[in-house]
Amino acid sequence: MREAHPTDEWQMKSNVKDDVCYAQPKTLEQRLAIANDFTKRFNYPLPFGVDDMSNAANDAYAAWPERLYVIDESGRVAYRGGMGPFKYNPKEVRDWLASRYGEVKHQETKIEEKGLQKSAGKPEEKSQTSK
Amino acid sequence: MRKTLLWIAISFSALVFVAFIGLSLMAGSPKDALYMVRYALPHMHRGNLKVGDVAPDARLVALNGFDHFRIREGSSGKPLVLVFGSFT
Repeated sequence: MREAHPTDEWQMKSNVKDDVCYAQPKTLEQRLAIANDFTKRFNYPLPFGVDDMSNAANDAYAAWPERLYVIDESGRVAYRGGMGPFKYNPKEVRDWLASRYGEVKHQETKIEEKGLQKSAGKPEEKSQTSK
Repeated sequence: MRKTLLWIAISFSALVFVAFIGLSLMAGSPKDALYMVRYALPHMHRGNLKVGDVAPDARLVALNGFDHFRIREGSSGKPLVLVFGSFT
């Protein structure tokens, strides 16, 4: 989806510090290049999709700049997170999943980025990520 | 009449000023507040999707740029966590 803090709009100091500096994509190829950089840089392990330039997925889910959803087994929205960044709350999703499906077993997943190593829990549920 | 209009203008200006201060605190600085209003607010939407609604099965592009798939494709009766965001 649209970049939240591109260099030609509202860039933040943290983008420069973290070397995440991109202009707002004007073509799908540019958007895909950023998505590929993200997945490669973090060795991202989950299924990943990119919204096309019509922003159809974003419009359908009111997802920008970031938002979390859980879709249940019947294909209905079971959980709708708040609009990020202020109401973007992964812990709330984990708690929601635990209360509905039982405690989620986590396996340690190393996310490596330029020498930094972060440890992140990977839920057993299949996750789909859209950028 | 002019006095009323003057007070309305003063009150409105004070409201705008207070809102700008609030936004500046929330965003981090006055510059960030301006950029938030210019670049972020036009794209932030609450949307109409509610818990219990059928999840829109929008089409996404795979990372290779050629393949496409539907959001719910492949979940086959399992719950699905959707994480929307951008790199920046």
